[in-house]
Amino acid sequence: MKISLIPVAVLMLCAASASAWAAPGTVLRAEKLYSQPAATSKVTASVPKGARVEILSKQGGWLRVQSGKSTGWIRLLSVRAGAGGLGGTGVGDVVGAATTKSNPSRVVAVAGLRGLNDEDLKQAKFNGDELARMEGHNVTAAQARSFASKAGLAAVNVPELPKPKTAQSSSTWESN
Amino acid sequence: MKLKLTLLAAALASFSGAAVAFDFGKVLEDRVKQELEKKTQTQPSQTTEQPPAEAQGTATPPAKQKIDARQLGMTLLTGYSPEEETRIGRQIAGNLLGAVPLLRDDKLQNYVNLVGNWVALQSGRKDITWHFGVLDTEDINAFAAPGGYVFLTKGLYRRLNNEAELAGVLAHEIAHVTKKHHLKVLKQSSLIGALGQAAGKKAKDSDPVVQNLIGNGAEIMARGLDKNAEYEADRVGIVFAARSGYEPWGLPEVLQDLAGLPDKDSRTSLLYKTHPHPADRLAALGEAVDGRLDAVGGKDVASRFYRIK
Repeated sequence: MKISLIPVAVLMLCAASASAWAAPGTVLRAEKLYSQPAATSKVTASVPKGARVEILSKQGGWLRVQSGKSTGWIRLLSVRAGAGGLGGTGVGDVVGAATTKSNPSRVVAVAGLRGLNDEDLKQAKFNGDELARMEGHNVTAAQARSFASKAGLAAVNVPELPKPKTAQSSSTWESN
Repeated sequence: MKLKLTLLAAALASFSGAAVAFDFGKVLEDRVKQELEKKTQTQPSQTTEQPPAEAQGTATPPAKQKIDARQLGMTLLTGYSPEEETRIGRQIAGNLLGAVPLLRDDKLQNYVNLVGNWVALQSGRKDITWHFGVLDTEDINAFAAPGGYVFLTKGLYRRLNNEAELAGVLAHEIAHVTKKHHLKVLKQSSLIGALGQAAGKKAKDSDPVVQNLIGNGAEIMARGLDKNAEYEADRVGIVFAARSGYEPWGLPEVLQDLAGLPDKDSRTSLLYKTHPHPADRLAALGEAVDGRLDAVGGKDVASRFYRIK
């Protein structure tokens, strides 16, 4: 019942705004939705960890999402894009595998392309010419500073982030 | 197996229980002894009877062994010199370039070096020369070797939308170098001593001493790091990018893009073998960042972002 309504809602949203890129996402931790992309704005709803959302747009560190009947802004780092659910956290991968199929636009044709693998790296022989080429692209600190200032970039004082209090509980991706 | 050893070594290093400390000291002691015997073969070693504190360099070694023991002790306990680190990094970088060459696009390579050096200037690491390169492969990945050798692939570069995203990717790799993640792995796995002289070696040649340390080819790049080292590089990298004046959301946006790719895409198989899933990285980074970067503005610098033709 409910499922059949979602594609209709998505279609309506797409029609309403050409720039909207409705994409599936999953909430990574219990969070609030805000009326504006700012934590000082009004809270419009709360969303639990694992909730499915539709990502409507983004602005800076914020995403505008729809969760059920609520729409609001949520922190970019509190959502993962894609159909994989909570992903590597060990929940929801089965659903993710199933829903990936229903989203063919995200599947990129990669037939015939083989990525780098362990064996390539293990067998690799030192290539001094390529290394010299790389080192030949060296730029000085003065050049880097000049390059930055041309785009209006200036050094900012930003404090270090604290280490998390609890150990990371997630599994490595390999074990999935 | 390798991972278990690494974890064990980390556990040994972090516990201060007497028995554990003694065992760890014994490992160091044995290694020192081994090295000394190698270097002064005519003289029987005296280190066997010494308490672990001696081997750890807290007491003055006997006069005859002074130079070797000091040099070795310094290397074991305080890390490699910048020169040694660069020597290790060059060998790993040269091997990686043996597996996949640089993309032949000088404008791109120069652009990436400018962005990378600007971000590296905010990292606080000034005793090494930073080098950046784009590898000619559709694989989606990025690598860092000690001494400031940083790579990303053409496949990853093509997915980027602005300079802030490039800065975010490079900042993650720069953080691996400043936190010496790969050197710590090498140290834990081999307890290697001083590298010694690179006698008569030309810059373009392979370095057999370092090669012996790092295993086969560039396999160290395929082994990956502890997942907590990856989370740390995300945490440190996002701050380096923000300090450089970029909006901090470049790295998260790249992770979001990767999270949206199908899980079985062959271009990300090595990335996912050596890194936690992007969803886990976003979640861990979200815990660390929370509202702490709300007041940070920054630029995405989309207008001059170099597009590969």
